Formats: sequence, C-alpha cells, structure tokens
Amino acid sequence: MDQATASAMALPDARRHPAPTRKRRKPQIGLAFIAPFGVLFALVFIVPILYAAYLSFFQDKLVGGNTFVGLANYSKLFQDPQFWDGVGRVFWFTLVQVPIMLIFAMALALALDSLRLHGTKFLRVTIFLPYAVPAIVSTLMWGFLLGIKYGLFGSLNEALGTDLNPFAPDTTLISIGVMVTWAFTGFNMLIFYAALKAVPRELYEAAAIDGANELQIVRAIKLPALRGSLVVTVIFSIIGTFQMFNEPQILPSMVANSGVTTFYTPNLYAYNLAFTGSQQGYAAALALVMAAITIAVAYAVQIRGLRNASDH
Amino acid sequence: MRLSQKVRLLAGVLVPMLALTACSGGSGSGAGGGGEQVKVTVWSWDGTVERAVPGFQAANPNIKVEVVNAGSSQDEYKALDNAIQAGSGVPDLVMFEYFAVPYFAVPGKLTDLREFGVDKLKQDYVPAAWSDVTVNGKVYALPSDYGPSAMFYNAATLKKAGIEEPPATWDEYYEAAKKIRALGDDYYIAQDTGDIFFLLSLIWQAGGRPFKVDGTKVHIDFTDAGTTKAVAFWQKMLDEGLINTKITGWSDDWNRALNDGTLATQTMGGWLTSTLPERAPKAGGDFRVALMPQWQQGDKVGAANGGSSFGIPAAAEHKEAAFKFLEYFTHGGGLATRVDAGAFVPNTSVLENKEFQSKANKYFGDQKTGVVLAEATEIVGSGWQYPPFFEWARSIYGDLASPYYTTGKGSLAEILEQWRQRCIQYGNEQGFQVD
Repeated sequence: MDQATASAMALPDARRHPAPTRKRRKPQIGLAFIAPFGVLFALVFIVPILYAAYLSFFQDKLVGGNTFVGLANYSKLFQDPQFWDGVGRVFWFTLVQVPIMLIFAMALALALDSLRLHGTKFLRVTIFLPYAVPAIVSTLMWGFLLGIKYGLFGSLNEALGTDLNPFAPDTTLISIGVMVTWAFTGFNMLIFYAALKAVPRELYEAAAIDGANELQIVRAIKLPALRGSLVVTVIFSIIGTFQMFNEPQILPSMVANSGVTTFYTPNLYAYNLAFTGSQQGYAAALALVMAAITIAVAYAVQIRGLRNASDH
Repeated sequence: MRLSQKVRLLAGVLVPMLALTACSGGSGSGAGGGGEQVKVTVWSWDGTVERAVPGFQAANPNIKVEVVNAGSSQDEYKALDNAIQAGSGVPDLVMFEYFAVPYFAVPGKLTDLREFGVDKLKQDYVPAAWSDVTVNGKVYALPSDYGPSAMFYNAATLKKAGIEEPPATWDEYYEAAKKIRALGDDYYIAQDTGDIFFLLSLIWQAGGRPFKVDGTKVHIDFTDAGTTKAVAFWQKMLDEGLINTKITGWSDDWNRALNDGTLATQTMGGWLTSTLPERAPKAGGDFRVALMPQWQQGDKVGAANGGSSFGIPAAAEHKEAAFKFLEYFTHGGGLATRVDAGAFVPNTSVLENKEFQSKANKYFGDQKTGVVLAEATEIVGSGWQYPPFFEWARSIYGDLASPYYTTGKGSLAEILEQWRQRCIQYGNEQGFQVD
C-alpha cells in the first residue's frame, strides 16, 4: 500500500514542470463547476444537519419556552425504552428482509441475463414498476390485499376455514416486509442486472469453449461480478429500512390494532415527538443518533464487503 | 453582479404589476378611508367557511379573504406550529378542534379575543361551547361547529333483532346489544378499537370530570364516581363480547359494515349527520338519530364529541380584519349560509330557529334531525375540560390501548391509569404542574 501511494505521488510530481500555469488555473475552474452542487449540498444537507445538532441541545417547553439543556436530550434518549424498541425492530427487520429481497433480486437479474427468456424488456420494466408506485399508494393497496375483513385474506380464511391475520401485532412486521420486498426488489434487480451487463460476453464464450455449463458460468463468472453491486444494494437497503416510515405511518388508519405504535420505527417516533409532542430538540437528538447508528452499520458493511470482494 | 442587476430589473417590472393587481382588486373601496386592501388568510378544513366569503367581501370590499385547507386536525396544528416557529406564513384565522384550543392558548400563541368585545357574543352560544373556547377566563376562539354526542341507529337492524324503540338508557343498550349479537357473527351494536373520544364522551355524560385545569396546573383523576361508572359499563360491554373490536372507525371496513347494517349504532358527534350519507349511501333511509342513552331513566344529560372553533394567532398580521370575518361567519350574516351548507353550529339563534328544526332529512327517513341535535346540544353537561397537551395525549392513547384490544389482557381502568402516568410525566416535562 505505502509503496503504491508513494509511486503514485511521485508520478504527477515529475510531470508538473512542463506546464505550471495551466496547472494553477485548473482547480479554480473545477471549483466553478462543482459550485452549483456545493451550494445546494450545503443548503439542503449540511445546514439542516447543523441546525438539527443545534436544536438537539435545547428543550422548547409549552410553558417556559426554549432553554439550553446541554446533552440532556441525549442522555434521556439512551434511557428511552421506546426508542430502543424501534431501533431493535428495524434492526431485526433489516436482518431478515434485506437478504430475502436481495436473493430475489439477484435471481431475477440472473434469469433476465440468461438470454433464455422471452420478452425480457417487458419483464424488466414490470419487475421495476412497483418501485415507481408511491409508498402511500402501495401501503393502501396492500392494506386491502391483506385485510381480513373484506380483503384477499378474508376470502382465503373463508375458503380454507383458517384464521390468518396478516395485521395482528405479531405479524404486521412480516406484512410490512412483504410490502417493502415487493416495492424494492425491482430496483435492486436493476442494479444487479446492470452489473451483469458489464461483463464482457467473450468471457461466456470462452467458458463455453472450455466446456462450462450454465450453472458453472453463474458460479464462476456472474456471481463474482455481482459482488461490488451487492455491497451497494446492501447499503441502500440498510439505509432504507432504518428509515422506515410510510408503511407504519399509514397502516393504523386502515387496520384496527395492528400493533403499530407511535414509536414503531425510530423515524416515526421522531416525527411524532417533533410534531405531536412538540419536542423538537429531543426529536433532533434522536434523528442524529439514528443517523450515526445507520452510518456505523452501513460503514461496517462496506468495509467488510469490500475486503471480501478484494479477497477474490 | 449581473445577477443582482437582473433581480433589480425583475423587481422593477413586478412591483408595478403587483400594485396594479392590488388596485384592480381593491376598486370600489374608495369609501374605506385609505383604501388599502387587506388580505386575510384563513386555515380551515370546514368547507362551509368558504361559502361565507362572497357575502363578506361584498360587505367589506377592502378585505380580501383567502381560505386555505392546510390539512385536517393534527396536520394543520403541525403546520401552524411550524409557521409560528419559523415566524413566517402565519395565517390570520385558524380552525381548531375544541381540545386543541388550550394547547395553543396556554403558551400564548393565540390572541385573547376579549379585546374585540367578544363578551357580548356570549349569549348566542350554548354554554358548553363557550366554555370550550374559554381558557383561564380568557376567550381564545369563537365556536364554529359543534359535536353534541348522539346515538345514530340503524332502525332496520334493530327491527331485525326485535327492538322497536331505540335504547333510551345504557341498561337498555346492553340488552339491545345482546339481541343484536344474537343475529349472527357479524352483527354488533357498535365497534370500538380504542376510541378515546367515545370513552371520554361516555365519562363526560356520566358526570366524570377527569381533567381539571387551572392555569398551568392540571389535575388528572380517572377514579371519580362518574368516570368509574362509565368505564365499568363499557368494560362490561367489551368483556361480554358485545362490541366489535376488529373494525376501526373511518376505515374501509367500517364503511362496509355501516352499509350492510351489521353495525347497528354509532354514538358519536352530531357531525355524523353529514358524514353518514357519504360513508353509508346504501343504508339510506335506515338510519335515525336519538339522544345518547341515559344513565338513569328520565335523565337528560349529554356530552360532546368533537366540534371546532376559530382563533386568531398571536403572530397574525391582520387581526382586526380577521376578527371581522370571524364574527361574520360564526355569528353574523354568514352564519345562515353555512347552516344551509350543512354546518351544525352551537348558536342558540340557529338551534331555536323553527325553520332549522322543522327541516326533514331525507337520508334519515325524513326525520327532523335538527330537533334531536338541538336538544342534544342544549343538554351537554357543563364544566368539562381538556388538558392543554391533549393533542399529544390522544396520540399516545392508542399505544397503550392497543395491546388490550388485541389480546384482551388488562382492562380499561389499567389503560387509563397508564395514560395518566404518561400524561403526568409529559406535562411536567413541558412545564405544567400535573398530578
């Protein structure tokens, strides 16, 4: 590593002499090009985070107004069982739902890439389509599908004489998992599919000449080619599920006693704290801690994933 | 530099244009002194308020009223809190459910309307409604609609169960519930999945006053005689499986059950009169309205369930003009327009009006619903108070009630006690003195 970086640094050094004036101007032009991005990034990203950090040191009481409370919001948060209940829930959810979804997505991508299907373009769009449906609409739709009174499960229970309830407190999370999987499999499939498309076709020809069958090609060429995009999809999925909000926000208005509480997920809890409980400072602290947890988990996955990828 | 030149140029074009439009809008306001036009922004999810605007603007040409739907209930309160905190975009007139008035009034976010001489309007409102907008002796809003609790019943379903007259007491209600339950699996007298507003209306009618508010002091007690009686009764109904705990109010399932008659009654606010035809068009002609069943034969006590009012934020820009419009549509010339459009208002001038009372409602089998609801309004028990943080309290009630309604473990009394504990903790954190 050290040697490599040293030689990499030495190289431009040797080339710097011929055209010093051009070199000096370059960074300024570059800055001008990224300035529009930089300004927007600062406005919609950096500033809100700093403001949230600022807010998290205050408590705005209904009586008595705004007071500086130091780290009190944070120490309260770490002892708040409702917060940890939500964190635990999204954690388990991620652990179970993300692998299932990614295996689905990968299988679909491999199927599409196998060149043995008819109408792949149509299938590709169809599988991706749920991603384009707003979460609010899809939650309403699934609410009807899984409803036990008049929905599909109602008919199913009637026909089979069973008593299944997808929205009982113990099963609601599974139902949400189904909704999320339905919505995001296509998106992940597309990432995998793009990675497979990047594999030179010559490799397959070479493999075929060597006498490899389709399964061997998948194992030896395609799956290794998907490693990089696997890391990306895992990280996207972790971030997505840790921020789960729409589904538990809408479900209670559709289904009686589904077990969804006001603190079902950390994001939902932050929303309710800030806008119903007018505890903006506390909600800001929660949001920042949650962001830190998400970043830590995503980062750990990235490091691990990349290390594994470079091993092979 | 070039950019700022453009901005200046743009401003140079825009400002005269704006001035022009302002002039054209204000033409004919010559008599109004300076002739300056004022724009009043109103946040309302009550559709009838908009109907009063043309009449008002004709009478007050230098005031332009813009009615905006900034969401219903919680959504609107959140938007208002945000606007107040941001210090911009604060509307001049805002709709509040009664329980939300103290939430905004206590921290000083609302204008005390007594400065506009609002005291002299007091006798036009039923006392319970007036006390809903009064916080610590100050008046923060004017009542705009009212939700006297009434029992809406499906006469066809009752008949099927062999019940000729709607239950007049809660004992009769209990007996009726058993008969309706005997009709079959899906038949219930009512549903409940943790509806706090219904439970509170039951407590209210039974004489319970669990919340006592005095300034920033709040006393919560769910063990007084009235509360205990009401809670024990509803507990019995739930324990004996007489209530459907699978259907949530306002859900699609609820609509269907109202349509097919499997939910026999709804004890809710009078506003259901205008909602029911939308929710249950197929049950047209089957429903009737009666007073809430009584706790004692011969009694006449009621409660409220919902209803709303309009107040002026302390940070509003055009308070005078806002109040003019407020008075117009809650008390003055605009009131009749709103009543015609279906608003149920707590103004005695309307409730005692013969024409209002004699109007037959087609959906309710030509019943004169106005008579029943006027009576339900006049008998609402007085002295009920909501804690200033009720908006928050009701949002977490579901968290506490849900385990009981799904597993049957625990009891209503235990839920209420947990709720009290949480309210005490939250209230004290927010600077109130709660016990």
